[in-house]
Amino acid sequence: MSEGGAMRDQWYPVGMTKQLTAQGRDTMLMGEPIRVALAGGAPSVTDGTGRALPVIDRFGHVWTSLGQPEKDLFTIPEVDQPGRRLVDVGVCRVRCSPLRAVENFLDIAHFPFVHTDILGSEPHTEVARYEVEIRDDVDEVWATKVKFFQPQAAKSAEGGITTDYMYRVCAPTCSVLYKTCPPKPGEWDVIALFVQPLTETLCDVWPYMALYDDDAEMTDLIHFQQMIFVQDRSVLENQLPALLPLDPGREIPTRADMTSIAYRRWLKRHGFTYGAQLVAA
Amino acid sequence: MGMMGAACSDPCASAPTPDTGDTVPTDWTPAALSDDIPVASAAPGQLGPHDLAIWRSASGRIAAWADRCPHRGMRLSHGFVRGERLSCIYHGWGYGEGGQCVRIPAHPELTPPEAIRVPVFSVAEASGVIWVAEEAPDGPPPEFPGVVAFRSLQVSAAPEALAAALGGTGTVIETVLGGAQVVALIQPLRGGAAGLHLLAPEGSDPAALDALSAEVEALRRRVEAAEEMTA
Repeated sequence: MSEGGAMRDQWYPVGMTKQLTAQGRDTMLMGEPIRVALAGGAPSVTDGTGRALPVIDRFGHVWTSLGQPEKDLFTIPEVDQPGRRLVDVGVCRVRCSPLRAVENFLDIAHFPFVHTDILGSEPHTEVARYEVEIRDDVDEVWATKVKFFQPQAAKSAEGGITTDYMYRVCAPTCSVLYKTCPPKPGEWDVIALFVQPLTETLCDVWPYMALYDDDAEMTDLIHFQQMIFVQDRSVLENQLPALLPLDPGREIPTRADMTSIAYRRWLKRHGFTYGAQLVAA
Repeated sequence: MGMMGAACSDPCASAPTPDTGDTVPTDWTPAALSDDIPVASAAPGQLGPHDLAIWRSASGRIAAWADRCPHRGMRLSHGFVRGERLSCIYHGWGYGEGGQCVRIPAHPELTPPEAIRVPVFSVAEASGVIWVAEEAPDGPPPEFPGVVAFRSLQVSAAPEALAAALGGTGTVIETVLGGAQVVALIQPLRGGAAGLHLLAPEGSDPAALDALSAEVEALRRRVEAAEEMTA
């Protein structure tokens, strides 16, 4: 079996569309060298042998696969709503498993300690019970009714508020979160995390946002999100083992980790094990 | 692995005389200098294959634990110390006496189960050096009268090569360096490296210590260069 198993047939982000050049950019996907370029005005991706790989241009990013994807890349219907600002944050390279990067994105309990006085603060550390399910019809992990107190939930937030969240895992290395939108009550800001697995322990993280924020400068929005990811990186590069353990026993979850538990279960069910650790049977 | 830490930070009154050019008679390994782990701080260390979080509580108690939070595997040496607890920087899980988890901030009302416990290593301080061991050794670590802990260096060379460059063998070497009578403690590190914990004469003046520093750094460069040649 080829390296990557079932994950070979999934879609992955490999660059920002607006940054493409005819000359192209060399990068990696699941341990294999690839080149992402602009050919005849359209994005193209080739592997190390020059073979053309499938391409999708969506959410401002180029997506490809080393295998044969059965499904179209997921959609995020909210990004097409009028009035949203679409923000490509750029890339953040992290020396960690791509699956650990996604799991960290699904986690709220770390906010007071890793994003102190921004996304969380002591003594507001309690994680209230929320709901998690694997939705079989769309084959996605969803966490809903997530609530957390945040001193500064977004660039547009003044002072502390209790923020509502929903999380969605729509691909093995992609997640979308919906959160309370301070300037537009009743609507959700959308923040997505697209992770490019370079190897099992190295990834490029491409955050993407669709916000209702009319006032902030684009560079401030980008800077805010980059600051958050740099703080996450200091944790992600220091977890042992580097690979995400999919079998119980190696790590100890609590009720606050229900999303993470469902994510690991969903990965294991599908054989999405690139970047994961399985105890030999 | 020893789950009980035999903390003995009490500078023993009757200091045994060290054997020269020999290994430590007990199973202690020097891991850091006391001054390098100030009150209410944590730092990474090593003992054989184990990564350690060496930390000192607000009251001054030293501890050496496995460098891994049982929750999500984060290194505890990146954590923070409050009072007599070490907390993980990721989710704030707090650990106290014996490595027992005593606080999970996401569930403030929960009393953590006893099973959530960080493996603990034996640790003791003597002559300004922090010594660690897997199982509690029979006796305390050695004291070295007339010298005090000066500085630690990491050397990218095998412990044996470092010992030879210092003119000795084993892990405890008494020698003259930069004109000073010193004790050099050698700690085997992973990846073919060695830690050098240097003890200098008590009451040395700053100029003498500067000279000693320059001398030991030159020695490190020589050993590493020789190691590269043979590699």
